[in-house]
Order: sequence, then C-alpha cells, then structure tokens
Amino acid sequence: MNDVPMLLPAILALHAAAAVLLPPLAGRLGARIFLLAGLPPAAAAVWALAHAPAILGGAPMQATVAWAPALGIAFAFRVDALALAMTLLVSGVGAVIFGYCAAYFHAEERGLGRLAAVMVLFAGSMLGLVTTDNLFALYVFWELTSVTSFLLVGHDDRKEHARRAATQALVTTAGTGLLMLIGFIMLGWAAGDYSISALVADPPDGGPWLTAALVLILVGAFAKSAQVPMHFWLPGAMIAPTPVSAYLHAAAMVKGGVYLVARLAPGFADAGVWQVLVLGIGLATMIVGGWRALRQDDLKLLLAYGTVSQLGFLTLLGGAGTQVAGTAMIGALLAHGLFKSGLFLTVGIIDHQTGTRSISRLTGLGRRMPVLAVAACFSAASMAGLPPLIGFTAKEAALEAFLPSAAPGLPAPVSAAELGGLVAASVLTFAYSARFLWGAFGDRPTVSERSFDAPSAAFIAAPVALAALSLALGAVPAAADALAQGYAHALPTGEKPYHLALWHGVTPPLLLTAAVVAAGVLLFAKRRTVGRIQNAMPRWPDAEYGYHLFIHGIYSVALSVTRRTQSGSLPVYLGIILAVLLVLPGARLAAGLITGEIAVPGTDEGLRIWDSPLELLVTAVIVVTAVATVREHRRFPALILLSVLGFGIAGLFVLHGAPDLALTLVLVETLTTIILVFVLRRLPSTFSVRPDGWGKRLTVLLCAAAGTFIALALWLMTAARTADPVSAEYADLAEKAGGTNLVNVILADFRALDTLGEIVVLATAAVAVASLVLLNRRDRIVDEPAAENENENEGEGPDGAVRPAGPEPAGTGALALRRRAADAEAPGTEPSEHDPVREGEAGAADADEASNTGTGTGTGTGADDEGSDDDRA
Amino acid sequence: MTEHEPVRPEPSPGRADGEWGRSDRSGAPPEDWEAPRERWLSTGVRPAFGPRSVMLEVSARLLTPAILTFSVFLLVSGHDRPGGGFAGGLVASMAYVLRYIAGGRHELRAGMPMLPNSLLALGLLLACGTAAAPLLLGHPVLEVHSYTAHLPVFGKVKFASYLLFESGVFLIVVGLVLSVVAALGARMEAEEEEARDGAGAGAGGNPG
Repeated sequence: MNDVPMLLPAILALHAAAAVLLPPLAGRLGARIFLLAGLPPAAAAVWALAHAPAILGGAPMQATVAWAPALGIAFAFRVDALALAMTLLVSGVGAVIFGYCAAYFHAEERGLGRLAAVMVLFAGSMLGLVTTDNLFALYVFWELTSVTSFLLVGHDDRKEHARRAATQALVTTAGTGLLMLIGFIMLGWAAGDYSISALVADPPDGGPWLTAALVLILVGAFAKSAQVPMHFWLPGAMIAPTPVSAYLHAAAMVKGGVYLVARLAPGFADAGVWQVLVLGIGLATMIVGGWRALRQDDLKLLLAYGTVSQLGFLTLLGGAGTQVAGTAMIGALLAHGLFKSGLFLTVGIIDHQTGTRSISRLTGLGRRMPVLAVAACFSAASMAGLPPLIGFTAKEAALEAFLPSAAPGLPAPVSAAELGGLVAASVLTFAYSARFLWGAFGDRPTVSERSFDAPSAAFIAAPVALAALSLALGAVPAAADALAQGYAHALPTGEKPYHLALWHGVTPPLLLTAAVVAAGVLLFAKRRTVGRIQNAMPRWPDAEYGYHLFIHGIYSVALSVTRRTQSGSLPVYLGIILAVLLVLPGARLAAGLITGEIAVPGTDEGLRIWDSPLELLVTAVIVVTAVATVREHRRFPALILLSVLGFGIAGLFVLHGAPDLALTLVLVETLTTIILVFVLRRLPSTFSVRPDGWGKRLTVLLCAAAGTFIALALWLMTAARTADPVSAEYADLAEKAGGTNLVNVILADFRALDTLGEIVVLATAAVAVASLVLLNRRDRIVDEPAAENENENEGEGPDGAVRPAGPEPAGTGALALRRRAADAEAPGTEPSEHDPVREGEAGAADADEASNTGTGTGTGTGADDEGSDDDRA
Repeated sequence: MTEHEPVRPEPSPGRADGEWGRSDRSGAPPEDWEAPRERWLSTGVRPAFGPRSVMLEVSARLLTPAILTFSVFLLVSGHDRPGGGFAGGLVASMAYVLRYIAGGRHELRAGMPMLPNSLLALGLLLACGTAAAPLLLGHPVLEVHSYTAHLPVFGKVKFASYLLFESGVFLIVVGLVLSVVAALGARMEAEEEEARDGAGAGAGGNPG
C-alpha cells in the first residue's frame, strides 16, 4: 500500500463538483464552459503522467475510500499500467475533446450547461471505471457511464430519433450490465473476495460456476464494447453530437468492455469458454464491422462501423492472454483512441462548416482545408496500419501474436484462422480508411462544391494535436512500449519478449502488412465492384431487427398479461382474492382440523360469552346491520348501514378498553362514509339486480365461506399461542421511552419503521388517486388529434421507404419495427433538424399510448377503483 | 396554517353587489349600514350537495378553529393519552371536509393552507428527515431523542423527536384526505358543473 494518500479520489470528486457547479454558468459563458469542464479531466491526465514513471516501475498506486465495509464493498483504486493507459486515453483525449467542444458548439445551443455537466460526469465515471479495484465499484461506475451516455446520446431530446437511439443504447448496455453484475457476484462469491487484483492474482477454481460467471461478465463487456451481435446500438448512437461521439464512441466508453476483458485476461484467459467467446466474437465483430464500414455514405457512420471493427480487434487481443497479444492490445488501444477520436473530430469540423457529412455531397475539401486534410491523413494512416505511425506498430504486434510459431497456447488451426481473420480485417480497414480520406477530402467532379468558411485555427487544433500524437508515439514507440510491457508482464511469457517498434527486420508480419496494403489498395480501387457485390449479397440477419423483435415481444407479453389479469370488474377481483384465500390458507386450515394437527380450544380455555353484557347489545346492532346491508338494494342506505356496522365495531373496542383503536376507527369510518357519498353521486341509486341463479349462489357461497374462514382462523390463532407474547414487556419499555400510551409509543417508536412504510403507502395512494383523475381528463383532450395523425401517416413512410404491410400492433415496439426499414442502414445520415413526418409519427405514438390507457380505464369502472382505494386508506 | 380569515374591510363592490343582490331576493338584509361586514364563509357559497344551509355554514365557521385546535391537541397528547398523528390528521381533515360540504370546492381551496401534494411532500420530508437524522450522528435509524424543559407557564414540557415524526404522519393524512376530497369531491363537482354549463363556459378553477 502506498502511504501517501492518493489524489485520485479527490480528482473524481472534482469531476462531480464540476458537474454540479457548471450548469448555472452556461448562460454567461456560452460554449467556453467546456474549457472549464475540461479542467478535471486535464487534472487527471496530468496526475497520471506525473505518476507514470513510478507506476511503470512496478508500484501501482492504491487508495481506498470505505463505502460499505461490512459487505466488502469499497471504493478501492489501483492504478497499474493498464489503468494508466486507459486513464491517459480517457482523461488526456477527453481534455482535448473538451477544448474542441468550446469551438464546436454555438452559445445558443440548447442545454449547453447540461451537456457540459453530463460530459464531465461521464469523464469522471469513466475514470473511476478504469481505476477502481473493486467489482462493485466497477459496476457502479460502469452503469454511471451507461446512464450518462444515455443522456449524451439523447442530448437533442426533441428529436424522437435521438431519444430512441439513446434508449436503445441504454437498454443494451445497462440491461446486459445487470447480467454482468450477476457474474461479478458469482465470481466474487466463488473467490471470497471482490477485489479485482486479488481475483486475477489468485483466480478461483474452475467449474460450471466460474464458467457461468465468466459468460455473464463477457456478455456485459461485449455489449458495452459493441461486439457482434450487440453492435447495433453504436451506429445508432451516432445521432449524438460529434464531440460526444468522439469521446464516448472512440476514446472512452466503448473501451470499457475491452478494458474489462483485458483486466480479467491475466487470470481467466486460459478458461475454455473465455477463449471461445473472446476469439470467436472478436473475430466476427472485426470482419462484420469492417465489411459494413465499406458501404457507408455518412462519414460518421463509416467511422462508427470502423470502431465496431476495431473493438473486435481489441477484444481479440485483450482476451488472447499472451504477452505479445497484450503488448499489441495496449498499442492498439492507444492508437485507436488517438486516431479514431481525431477522425471523429475531423468529421465534426466538416459537418460544422459544410452542413453535411455525406460522401456523395462533399468535394474539394482537401484543397480548402489542407491542414485538416494532412492531419486526417496521418490519423487514417494510423488506422490503416501504415508506418511510421503507432497504428502500424500495434498491427505488427497483433500479427506477430497470432503467428502459429508465436502463439503457444492455441491450436494451430485456431491461430491460423485468427491470423487469417486479422489479415482480412486489416485489408478491410485499409480500404475503409482510404474510402474515408477519399470521401472526406477527395475531388469528385460530379458534385458541386459547397461554399463555407474555413475553420478557425483553434477549431482544428484538436484533430491536429491528436494526429501529431499518433505520429510521435509511432516515431518513438518506446513510450507506448513501456506501458505495454507494464501490462504484458502480468501475462504468461511467450517464447521471446516482444516490443512495440517500427522495425523488427524482415519478419512474417512485415510481409503480411505489405500484402494487406496491396490487397487494400486493390479493394479501394475496385470500390464500384465491391459495392455491387455488397448490394448483391443477401441481407444478413440484422442484429437490430432482433433487438426490436425482443423489445416488441416484451411489450406484447406485458400487454396480454395485463389484458388477461385486469378485467376491470371489481366483483371479479374480489372473487379471485377470496378464492385464493380459501384455496391456500383455507384448505390448509381444513386439512389441519381434519387430521387433528390444529387443536380446537375447549370451553375451559378462556372461552366465554361476554365480558360485559353491553357487548351483547353492540353485537346485536352489528349483526342486524350486517344482515340489513346485504339485503339492501339501494346504495345510499347500504352505505349508511355499513358505517353503522363500523361504529358498532368501534363500540366493541371501547368496551374492551382500546380507546385509541376506537378513536381511529370512528374517524376513518366517518371520513370514508363522507367520501363514499361523494362517489355515490356518480353511481346509480340502486345496485344492479342480479338474476337468481348459479352466479349469485356462488357469490353467496364464496362470501359465506370466506367469512367463516376468517372468524374460525382468528379464533384458532388467538388460542394457538405457544410462546410468550412479544408485547409483554412493552408497557415497561414504553415507560422508559417516555410515553404512557402504549399504542402510540409502538406506532411512533417501537415500530416506527412500519409506520414510515405505511405513510409512504398513504402518500402513494394519494398521488395515485390524483393521477387517476388527471388521466381521466387527459384522454378526453388527446383523443381527437390522435385520429387525425393516424390518417395523415397512413400512406407515406419516412424518406419514402417501404413499410412492412399488415396491421400495426399497439406499443412502441411495433412503432420501432415499422420505422426500421428506413433506419437500418443510415441512422443519422441527415444532420437536418426538422422532419415533419417524424414529428407527426411521434405525436401518433403518444396518441396510441393515450388511447390504450384510455380504454384501460374506460372499461373498468373508474369510480369503483378509486372507491376501493379509499376503503383501504 | 392559519385558519382564521383576516377581517375584511368591505367586500369588493362589484362582486358583493352580485352576491348580496342574489340573497336580497331571499330576504337577506338590505345593503346598508346594518349589513354584515363578513360572510360566514370566505368565498361565494355554493355547497357541495343540495341547497345552501345557513346552519351548516355557521357551524362550519364556528367549529373549524375548534376542530383544528383539537386535532393539534390529539397530536401532541398522543404519547400519553389516546390520539397521535394519525388520529389528529383525521380530525384536522374533518374540518376541511366540513368546510367543503358547507361551501363547495372554492371554499375548500380557500381554506387549504397549501395544495394537498405540498402537504404530502412536506409530511414525507418531515417523517423521513426525522427517521434519517440520527444516522448523521451515527445512531440507528428512527432513534428517539427527548428533552424535558421547565417552561414558566406550562410547567414541565417534554420535547421529543417522535413528535416531529408524528407531525409528518399528521400532514400526510391531511394531504391524503384533501387529495381524495379534491379528486372525488371537488373535481367531480367541477366536471358536473362543466357538463351543466356546456363545454365553453364552464372553465371553473381547478381546486386540485
């Protein structure tokens, strides 16, 4: 343990403080608020750099802030080489992106303060995620990044599209995050320790338990890092503002899953299921992402699919568990963070200046923005894996890692397949990198040039700086190599140590790189042919479609369950409740009485006719009113009789010396009577007369049986006491607690927690009553526009896309399915702000919902429902 | 929570003319010096049910302060005698229900110290705050602290934290009853009124 208290928790607190303090300043500072917001990440980056030598020297920084010590949960932090690399990415690149934001956003942008606050909160969560050493703390930070990402992706909350993409990202990442939490608990339980470093150093023994835990954890990690088949949310999330995409979807959040894989790899990489999942899914993701990147017209989507591909690459390397792969992983991690965010920022500048990022509408930008073009060239070259950039060194290392001679742990066919996959993905990567440069900066004579202002120097500083870093780290690979070795030495040794370097001699990887470049050039040159092939290929089963089917399935099941269980008829509800009461405890009581298991108290055991003769009078009143209530056909007299019955029972309490109970009962009885009178105004003056028949006989039978059961059970239960009553000492205790009214001392002191729960229920009931009434009003208002909107939308789909025919089931899931045809390939192609068709559809969705709820309450007798609420209160 | 209306100088002329003009026909005093300066209830009276009843108005006016005082008595005496926050809250809500029955929904709104939702929120805050406060000092949740003081007139008086808790219960019960009355009584009344007046004209105030 480090004696010096680590600064890191304070820096994390600084993030949180900035998030709280910033929003009010947004009005005064405008976009410059991002410069302030960038301070905490910058501080974290400086802190990490300052301690880098010590950490790389083999002494991880540690600190612990207690949270729930009894449960083994603490905010424990441990910064080693991997965490250092991630911190530099998250905070260093983050600080650069914050600087860029100051130039990107206009002062009049909506919700600027909120955006800055959420971004800095995200930066803090991400920093916590990569530095914590406790599984629970990691989970908390993990879900914080999911939630902040939801808010950031949905920043433009007036666009339905943005809201949907944000929800999709949240459902995918946070939903699988729950699975991951289960995995964490299983893993920590198996090992008896929730500290990650201890787990990795001393992994628990294998077995199905461990396998299940690893699968659950990997599912969470894969969803976060957009691995096939859960990659669909990442392209959808491109609706976010471009700097947000550059930060979340290039440098930080999507690396969370990769980080977790790499973090656990030293301990678990030799588990069978781990190898299969990581190598298989990583490979598939790499190829699918690269292949789909090749056909994108939107530059940002091209980069998004490129990111998917690169994340597959990183997962593959991080999970492989050899030293060379580990070295390559750190190299690729840094390289990807630098070049991908640089390219995203480039797209942001293009979009900002020209108003579009569609390849088919851009031309001549290379001449107009030469500095940016050069910077983008370097970044793209790093992405394609060309020397002398850091991407090249990482790719060399990756190829080396899977050479059959250098991968000791893997069977030859597997490593050959992985190597083949890596080469194929590299070819695709080269091709889409070239396509990006050509698309963004190339000259296309068929497109008319747009007029725009040149970006300011401050604006292009960020991508230029990131490109320069790519170049610098490539030229001096020793810096990155130190980090890589720091991580890799935790992994099992290979045959010979491997370092990130530009020149290893004429080795197989170098030859492979040459082949990759040649094939990539060919692929790019023949892009029209490639496009035709891609179009000719049958559409693959679409992962996003699967997501919508899943969501839609949940909606349908929920709706059908509701429809079956909520008939809206009060007698049916009551009947079900009473029947269950009779079937479960009632049958048990009957069985107990028959077998003699439950003893029937004899007459000598305290059974007596009355304590005071007055009771006889009160009981007579109760019995008479009870019978009269049942026989009364008019509602109002029935209500009065019922309340007389209640007062009679209060009288019994008085006779038994319970003034508190009696007082409360009288008050409640009075109030409910009055309130029921309000309701009676709306109801017919007599009960509906039911024909004599089996239905009525059944009701009578059921009610009589339930009443008998209750009476019998109460009698037997009070007689069945075997232990001393817990209340025996209450009187003395109440004296000590300072009250002589035992009932009240119990309510307000001994059992105050129960009371607290009850008053929360009361408050909830009050809000529920008020909202039922509100609901009643709302659907009256919304009904008419709903019908209009439906008609309007009947014929035309968004962008003239063909809609699947057939009746439209209700619910958002169905809506999503219908929209999918238009969105599948190009979510967020248009930076345009206003789309009347979509707006209309949003309205229709709301209306759908409203009419659903409307019919729900409409068929039920609303007043009856509310009346039952009162009874309970 | 003041229940007593400040003494009004004079009802505003336009409105008062209308009001008293109507009651003129039913034999009320002429608009002269001997005319009463205040009405029994604070708003124009249209009772919740049936015709207007002077008896009800008078008793509502006279009883409301007494009922509220009694409810506070129940609240504070609850620890040693029958009562407590729940009973006190019920009694206090009776005062409002009486007022509503006598004077209709506008009267109910005029008499409420705050909206039912605010009462609920305040009550929850008070109860949960009292429950959580001992945590800050490292004591268990809901621990009771009491302090006995000797005051000049009242003699020995006990202040205990459960009183705060009970006050929270009190406020929540009042809030619950008021929101139920607002929803099932006043809201329905308003809707009936709207239905009577037709869609356009009946834009009555929303009491809930």
